Amino acid sequence: MAKAHKISGVKPLGSYRENARIILPQKLEEVYTWEPFIRDAARREELHNMRISIKRLRYTMELFRVVYELPKACSEHAVATDDKRFAEFLAVIVDLQGILGDIHDCDVILQVLTNYTCQSALDAVVLGSLSATGKDGIAKLIDRTRETRKADYEKFIEKWEQLSAADFKQKLLSFFNITNLTGDY
Amino acid sequence: MVAEAKISAISPDETLEACAREIIVNYFHEMMSYKDGAKDGRDIEFVHDMRVTSRRLRNAMDNFADCFPKKSFREHYKSVKAITQAMGAVRDFDVLVDHFQKTLDALNETEQGHIRELIEHLQCEREEARKPMLTLFTKLEETGFEEQFLNFFNK
Repeated sequence: MAKAHKISGVKPLGSYRENARIILPQKLEEVYTWEPFIRDAARREELHNMRISIKRLRYTMELFRVVYELPKACSEHAVATDDKRFAEFLAVIVDLQGILGDIHDCDVILQVLTNYTCQSALDAVVLGSLSATGKDGIAKLIDRTRETRKADYEKFIEKWEQLSAADFKQKLLSFFNITNLTGDY
Repeated sequence: MVAEAKISAISPDETLEACAREIIVNYFHEMMSYKDGAKDGRDIEFVHDMRVTSRRLRNAMDNFADCFPKKSFREHYKSVKAITQAMGAVRDFDVLVDHFQKTLDALNETEQGHIRELIEHLQCEREEARKPMLTLFTKLEETGFEEQFLNFFNK
């Protein structure tokens, strides 16, 4: 798993609100560093790393959610608007994390099943037994998991391309940056 | 799964440093609240919850690292990372066992036998993975990790 990118430019004595605008765009950029690799279904490591980066972005967005909630006394309409947009962006991130999680689960399951099959075959040779090599249940699960993985990957790519076409990254960056620095609305 | 952190009490106009301390301490308390259940091991959700909260804690520490003196911060970060890794090793087996148990219904009797053998194998591996986790907990208790962590961040 790739390490989290170092966050730069943080101002410890600056406001939490001000630092949201410094930290959140960097978390988003970390996600997009994996984009050049994701159109190859075999890039398991990079897909996994993108999932982890998305998770980091999600957790960071949740940390800074309070910044996007305006005081109710100021403008109920503004509260509803910013809260709603924040929730919509976050839902997309959670959705992507979920699909990539499903792909990763399949990769891990396939690895476990393959290793187990190899180990069983080896044991059978060592013990002079033939029974351990005929593991129909394992073979069936390997086939099914491959199919599921393929479907999950296609779902992910379709979703990603839709988001790219809708300029999701730029919209989210703009949203992070419009946060009022002073908190006055 | 663990819900989003309860950090609504934070004011966006406070300094980042003050907020960072509050968030890190909150996550830390939450993470440690799952420790006894994780040690017990009968309910797999404790390991899961402790792992997720440790990830959230690490993410917060990554974001707010510049608010704290580097050397001590790095030591505390390493300990939290060790907790995530120990939890992850156990959790991975819990997930696999759960997954394979769910596949049984769709298989015939012979195939189910093969999967049951695999599940048994994974349960043995899970017990092995619990050992380093328990050793880590003992080490953290003996070295006063909890008190030191809170003294550092709870100023």
